[in-house]
Parts: sequence; C-alpha cells; structure tokens
Amino acid sequence: MSTATQVPPPPPRPPSVWAVFREMPANVWSSIFRNPLPSNDLERASTSFTNFFLHIHPVKVHQNTLRPLYTLGLGLMSFFLYIILALTGVLLMFYYVPSTEQAYDRMLDLRGSVAFGTFLRNMHRWAAHGMVALVFLHMCRVFLTGSYKKPREFNWVLGVVLLLVTLGLSFTGYLLPWDQLAFWAITVGAAIAGYAPVFGKEIQFLLLGDANVGQEALLRFYVLHVAVLPAILTLLIAIHFWRIRKDGGLSRPAEAEVRPALELAPAEPGAAKRTYGLQGLVRGPLTKTGNVPDRSVFSWPNLVTAELFVLVITLAVILVLSLLFDAPLEEPVNVMHPPNPAKAPWYFLGLQEMVSYSAFWGGVGIPTLFVILLMVAPYLDRSPKGVGVWFARERLLANTVFLVFVLLNVGFIILGTFFRGPNWMFVTPW
Amino acid sequence: MQLALAIGSFVILLVHGVVFYNQFFHDWERYQTAYFDQARGLAKTDAERAAVTGRSARIEQVIVTNFGEKRVDRCLTCHTAVDDPRFTQHAHPTKTHPYSEALGDVRRNGQWERRHKFADFGCTVCHDGQGRGLQEHYSHGEDHFWPDPLLGFVTQAGWRADYTPHLKGTVYMEANCAQCHTEENFPGTATVQQGRELFFKSNCYGCHRIEGMSDGTLGPDLSDGGKKFKLDYLWEAIDDPRANLATSVMPKFNLTTEETRALVIFLKSRKGKNLSETEIQRYRLKLTGGAELVQAAIRPVTITPAAMLEQGKDLVRDRACLACHKLGDEDGGIAPDLTYEGLLKEEDWLFAHFRNPRSTVADSIMPAFRFTDDEFRAMSAYLASLRPAPRLASAAETYRALCERCHGEKGDGHGTIAIYLDPYPRDLTKAGFMNSKPVERLAGSIRDGVPGTSMPGWGRLLDDAQINGLLDHIQTEFTRQPRRELKARKVPDANPVAMSAESAARGEAMFVRRCGGCHGRKADGKGPNSLDILPRPRNLRNAPFVHSTNDARMFDAILYGVQGTAMPPWIDYGLSVNDVGDLVNFIRSLNPEQKESQYARTD
Repeated sequence: MSTATQVPPPPPRPPSVWAVFREMPANVWSSIFRNPLPSNDLERASTSFTNFFLHIHPVKVHQNTLRPLYTLGLGLMSFFLYIILALTGVLLMFYYVPSTEQAYDRMLDLRGSVAFGTFLRNMHRWAAHGMVALVFLHMCRVFLTGSYKKPREFNWVLGVVLLLVTLGLSFTGYLLPWDQLAFWAITVGAAIAGYAPVFGKEIQFLLLGDANVGQEALLRFYVLHVAVLPAILTLLIAIHFWRIRKDGGLSRPAEAEVRPALELAPAEPGAAKRTYGLQGLVRGPLTKTGNVPDRSVFSWPNLVTAELFVLVITLAVILVLSLLFDAPLEEPVNVMHPPNPAKAPWYFLGLQEMVSYSAFWGGVGIPTLFVILLMVAPYLDRSPKGVGVWFARERLLANTVFLVFVLLNVGFIILGTFFRGPNWMFVTPW
Repeated sequence: MQLALAIGSFVILLVHGVVFYNQFFHDWERYQTAYFDQARGLAKTDAERAAVTGRSARIEQVIVTNFGEKRVDRCLTCHTAVDDPRFTQHAHPTKTHPYSEALGDVRRNGQWERRHKFADFGCTVCHDGQGRGLQEHYSHGEDHFWPDPLLGFVTQAGWRADYTPHLKGTVYMEANCAQCHTEENFPGTATVQQGRELFFKSNCYGCHRIEGMSDGTLGPDLSDGGKKFKLDYLWEAIDDPRANLATSVMPKFNLTTEETRALVIFLKSRKGKNLSETEIQRYRLKLTGGAELVQAAIRPVTITPAAMLEQGKDLVRDRACLACHKLGDEDGGIAPDLTYEGLLKEEDWLFAHFRNPRSTVADSIMPAFRFTDDEFRAMSAYLASLRPAPRLASAAETYRALCERCHGEKGDGHGTIAIYLDPYPRDLTKAGFMNSKPVERLAGSIRDGVPGTSMPGWGRLLDDAQINGLLDHIQTEFTRQPRRELKARKVPDANPVAMSAESAARGEAMFVRRCGGCHGRKADGKGPNSLDILPRPRNLRNAPFVHSTNDARMFDAILYGVQGTAMPPWIDYGLSVNDVGDLVNFIRSLNPEQKESQYARTD
C-alpha cells in the first residue's frame, strides 16, 4: 500500500527543560482558564461557557437586562449578601457554642478578644438585616415590573419561598447571641406563631422544643440557622437562577417583530430523520433567531462588569456599616425581667403591631393570607400585558393592590419600631 | 461605572486598612510594652531583671472557678503592674493594687503578701465589671447594657445625674465583700450591716421579701435585687419611689444620704445565692418563713404597762408608720390620717387591724407587720389616746380638715391618698348617686362610717348639726343639683327567701351568670369589666361591709340599681324578688357571721 512508503511524521520533540520552566506559568494559567482574555466574539462566548463560575451566564444577554434602573441589582445584591453571610457565618461558627451557659460569654469574647471578632459579627448582622430588606425590595421590583407572568410564574413562587426562608434564617439567627434583645424578641416571635389555629401551640412547641425559650430552643435555632435553612436556601437559589436561564433571561418588554416567522422548508423527502440535541428542544425567545432584532450583547464583559459593580457596591456598603456601627449586644438573658416593651425583630414588628389589635388575625391570619395571595398572584393575573415595564398602565389595579399591602406592612413596621413604647403605648420617638 | 468601581474598591481597601490597624494595634499592647520598659529600668536585682526579660505583650487571663460560675478575668492584660510593689505611684492602668491590712494583706520581711490573690480570686469577684473585655469601655462596664459596672468606680451614662455623685466610692464594694463574708458583725461590711438594720427599722420587710429574712408580698422580692438592679436604680427606688413606676405604693422614707447609701449597699449585696452558701443551706433558708428572723432582727421592745402610752408613741414614730400615715403635721401621703384616731376607732379595732389589716378593712394594702402583740397593744393604746379637739368652725373647714384627703378638693373622690384606698372614696359630684339616696343614709355614713372600708365614723367628732351642715356644703359645692322627692320603691324589709344551701346554690349560679362580669366569679369585685368602671364594683366578700348592709338596702341596690354607678336595675332584666333573695342569701353565705366579735382579744 502507498502508506507503507510514506515517512511517518516525526514525533513532536519534547521541549527543552528550560522551555518547560519558562512556559510553566502560561501553561498553568491556560490549564485553569482555558481561554485567553477574549479579543473576539468567539472567545467572548467561550469565556462564559468554559468557566465554572461564569457558565451560569448565557453567552449573550439582552440589553434590557443590563439597564441598572430596571433591576436595580436587587436580586444580585441579595445573593452577594448571602455569600457574605455564609463566609462570615462560617468564621463565626468557629467561636460559637449553642449553649445557654456559654453563648453570651462567647459573644463577649468575640467583642473583646477574638481577632476581627467585632467586625465579623457586625458584617454578619448588617448583611442579615440588609438581606431581609433587599429580598423584600427585590420582590417588589419583580411585582411592579410584572415579571412574575408567564413563563416565570413558578420562579416567582420560588422567590416568595426564598423570602420566607430568608426571614426564617434571620429569625433563627436572632436568638443566638443569647442576650435580652435576642431572648425576648424570639419569645415574642414564637408567641406569634402560637396564635395559629388548631396547631399553633404544637408549632410553637416544635420550634422551641420546650414551653419557653431555653436551651432546647437555642440548639434548634442553631441547627436550623447553620445547617437546615442554609441548605434549603442554597438549593432554592440554584433553582431560582437556573429557571432564570430556562425562562429566557430576565423579563423585558415584548418587542415588535420585524420579520415574519421563518418559513420552514419542507423536509426533503427521504432524508434521514433528524435527531435533536437537548438544546434544540428549548423553547423560548432566544431560540427564535431571526424573529426579533438582535439586541443582545456578550456576557463577557458587559454582564460580568455589571455584576462586579454590584458586588463592589454591596461589599463597600456592608464594610462601611460594619466599621461605623457595632452590632447590639444587650444584657445577658434574664428570664424574670422582660424589657418593656419586648419587641420582635424589626421585620416582624408589623406583625407584632397587628397582633396588638388581634392576636389571630394580626399574627397568623393576615400574614398567611398575604403569603398565599403572593404565591397565587401569577395564576390569578393571567393577562400577558405590562411585562418588563415599571408601573405599567395595564397593571394599575394589580400594582395598586400590591403597593397598598406593602405600604401597610412598611407602615406597621415603622409604627411598631419607632412609635411603640412601654406597654405597647403610642410614643413619639423624639 | 468604572469610576464608581474604582471608588468602591478604594472604600473596601480603606475599611480593610482601618480594621487591620485596629486589630494589630491594641491599647493593651501599649500599656504592657510601657510597663515592661519601665520595669526594666527599675530592675535592680537579677530576679527582677529576669522577670521582665523576654516578656512580650500578650493577653493575660485568670480563670476563676472557686466562686460561683466560672469567670474569665482578662483585667491583668492592661493592669499588668497590680502585683508589682514598685508601681504604687504610677498612673492607671499600670499601677500597683493597694495593699491593706483591712483586706487581710500581711507584711512579712518587708514584703506584702496578699490575702486575696489575683490568681485565686481574679478581679471581678470583688470589683464587678466585665472580665472578658479588652477595651476599657466594655470591660469597665461603661456600656449601659452591662449589668455590673465596676462597683463604686464606674457610673453609666444613662444614670440619673443627681445620683451619680453618690454612687462612687470604695464603700460600695462592701456589697461584694458580703458575698463571702456573710457574718453580720464582720468589720469589713459595716455598711451592709447598717443597711440590714435599716431594712428592718424602716419596715422595708413589711412589703419586701428577702429570702431567709422577710416575707412581705406587697413590693417586689428583693432576694436577688442586687443582681437584678444597678446602683442607680436602687438609689432611685428608695429616694424617689414613683420615678420608675408612677403608680408605686412605696412611700418616700425620710432617710439621710448616708442611710440611703447603706440601704443601697445592703440591697446590692442581695444576689440570690451568695458565694458562701451551699445549695442545702439555701434550701433551708427558703423553708424558714422569716417571721422569727424578722422579730429577732427588729429587736422587740419590752412593753411595761406603766410606760405603755409612751412606748406606743415611740413605736409609731420609730417603726416608720408615718412614712404612709398622717399624724399631726407629719404626712406620708399614702394612708389615712391618724390624728383623730382615738375619736374614730376602738382600741380593739386598732389591735385587730394591726394584727391583720384585712380583717377590718377587706382590701387594705397595709402590710401585716411582724411586731409582738405587746407592741401592737402599746401602739393601739397610744393611738386610742389621741383625742385632740379639732377646731371646726364652718362646714367648709370641716371638709378640708377631715374629708379632703380622701374625697379630694373638688369632692370628686380623687383625694391625694385616694388611689391607695379600696374601695375608692365616693365621688360626691355624682348627683345621680347622691340624690338617689335618702339624706338619712348619707348622714349615717358620715356618723357611723362605712364598715370594711377606710371611711371612719365621725360621730364622736361631729354632732348632727355639723353633719347636716357638711351634707349641705357637699350638696351646694359638689353635687350642685337640688334634691328631689325620692320615689317610694317596693322593697321587702327582710329577705323573703329563707337562708338555705339550695337557695345559696341557686344564687351562686345566677351570680356567676349575671353578676360575675363586674363583681367577679369570686364576688371579690374584680371581674373582667371591673377595671373599666368607676366606682369599682363592690367587693362582696368584704365581711364587715356585708354585715352592715341590711336586706332592704341589698334588695334596693339589686332590684333598682345604684344610680351614678354601673349597677343596673335588675328588675328590668327579669330578676324577681325571689331571685334577688337567692342572690342575697348567696352573698350572705360568703360572709358567715362570726360567733363572737372578731375584734375580741384572743387571750
């Protein structure tokens, strides 16, 4: 055969020892980051999908996604706060013991002699409060831009659950310092849970492991706070993000179609039946290439820079807050000496305020109703109009109803926080 | 965006810089380094030199396990020189802790040796403060959340400015000395002992419980008052009892600053279990009621019949009766006037009232003090001897002198001591009530008083003309509406239903259904609606009152209501005369007649 006469190509020469060392940094670098810093569209695209951390991004995103005033970066801020919380939380775990005997002393040690202890606690505290606030604001953003509509209904439901889990995390963490503030806030909060009909007392007992807040409650709250709820939250965040991709990115206003739908050429008779890869089955706007004007941009660097921006802002704010304001640490727990008034954590003060009018309706009835209403909102509101625009005219009714609820809650929280004094009497804060 | 990114990154960097700086340059490191430098300079012997060479700044801590809960005291981290006798003249924090024979320190071969070694005791056992902290603000307890700031050294920012000067001084540390040195005659805790004596002398024990010492129930339990309350709060509670709680019934005692300080120090030393007690000792203390202990502590006076009046007078003054009561010019502003007591009350009544105040006035807040019967008898005799002749020229003057303290300047029942009385003094401006009762009954109330309440019978002070004049005065000044002819009502003179267990049971069932909302299921006048009603519903377990009320009046009040109060006419709600008869029988069955006078002496 002719092949026999051909000279086989010379085997590649092993590089010289010098070259091995000289090229080592570059080799290591390129083995980790498979792409060079991108200089063309192909490399920009592959940057997104060859990097583990970046491949959660699509290769290209719609310009609307990058409009700062559309999303306000609230969801991402919440996520970054969660990362900060996880990191500082793990560091704090090294010093914390969930025991009524030791917890408060450990707080004193954190404040007194642990390196960076005060600062870690401050960061964890303010990031936690910030996360509750931002997740709530993120929900408001999603509602007010009508983004919960088809096909994002379930992601909205997940979002509501995420808000509840965030509240749960914050609430369980509130007890851990085991000072007067923590003890009585949880006592009040757990009492609100006890107002639920039929199972209220059982729920309260299950939560506290005892008739009162004590060692069992501390241990339960600790386990919930450091293991159970973070696991749930992480999983739900993953699904939340994954569904954003699957739902075709963030919501945006519908765009006028400029071209009629492509006419599909009839399949050639006799051509082998085509098998479709998974991607071929994906529905949604991104696969309709040519249907809409391409107003998408590459994720690298546009989306990544925007995210970096949000990260830097979030981190800077938390750091500055932690430097300026110390997380509160009140008196050690004194079961016989409740402060007057004993207040729940601020995000439950709206509930506590309502509880002061009616225990069942304020503490259980209305909040449950509100959560259920939130969850079914996308299934009640089936009109596809008004998506992707703040305060769309078509959504006047829905937005008004939602805002009334939100402002009432915020109003009650402000009332409960600043205008309630001893015996829950009305006081003015000035 | 890039500018914002740059600024944001810079801020992040800056905060890190500050945080790291704070982390690596501590105050305590500077103190220790300075101490080492000075100690090296002062070192004369090899041993002294060796003690400081090679030492570098580090956190020094003493873990104290001998005294109650485990304590971690890091005070020596800043106060490095406490045991170095060469630093007596230096400034804090690197200063020698004083040596003193009073603290038990001894001098051997020219060297002081401490009785309370830091290695054994730490610092906070005596000084309080927060041993774990390493910043002055927190470790000295200046932060207002810390319950025990350095005793006698640190006053917190929120404390009342007029008290803070009183709250400093090493004398306060006696409260902590007394945690181990519990002997009453221990020389180091003389102030605690002074306070303990005052606690009994001023009758604090009558209202306050301290485990193993007293068993008063009217005021808060002070067994662990020193743990619960800070110096500032204790001082305020004694000096200005209503500052914290406007409705407090605690009287303001006439104490000097020194006495107040002694009491505060004594109370500060009450921390529940003290360090020298074992659990079993504490349990034994719990079992003793305190009566014998109190009587021993208040040093009973031996009463001699000859000097009885004089001794009674001294007792009334010494035992702080006038912290609440009025007598002549002295006025505690809480309890009734004793000036005319001899004209108003029998000696037997007084004695019974002393032994158990609620046997005569059902809802009196007066505590049962633990004096001996002899002492009570002397006091009763003294009070019964008080028979001054008041100058009562006009009805207005009479009202001012005798009535105003309870019924108020405007006759509306809000006199200065009214809030301490139960039942509340009658509101004389309520024409509905005043004009619906016959004049004879009103005059009777003034003349004979209202048994079971704080209204005394003025009959021995005022003659009928004066009483009628007083009523006229009330009518024109307060009630202000002319009396009208009262309609005759059909009321049986005596209960037509015979007293029987069945009748009382029927009455009880009806009472719970119809009356319990205001008068309470127990008929004690404390039903769920009672707080919204003035005058408050009558306590129907007030035996002296119920006995003094005849059937006709009860029928009248139930059937036709009491005008000017919340009591409705039950005849309109379908109660028959027989129903009311059952009710009256039920009420009477709650207040059985005593075989003999309950005021009779028991001996």
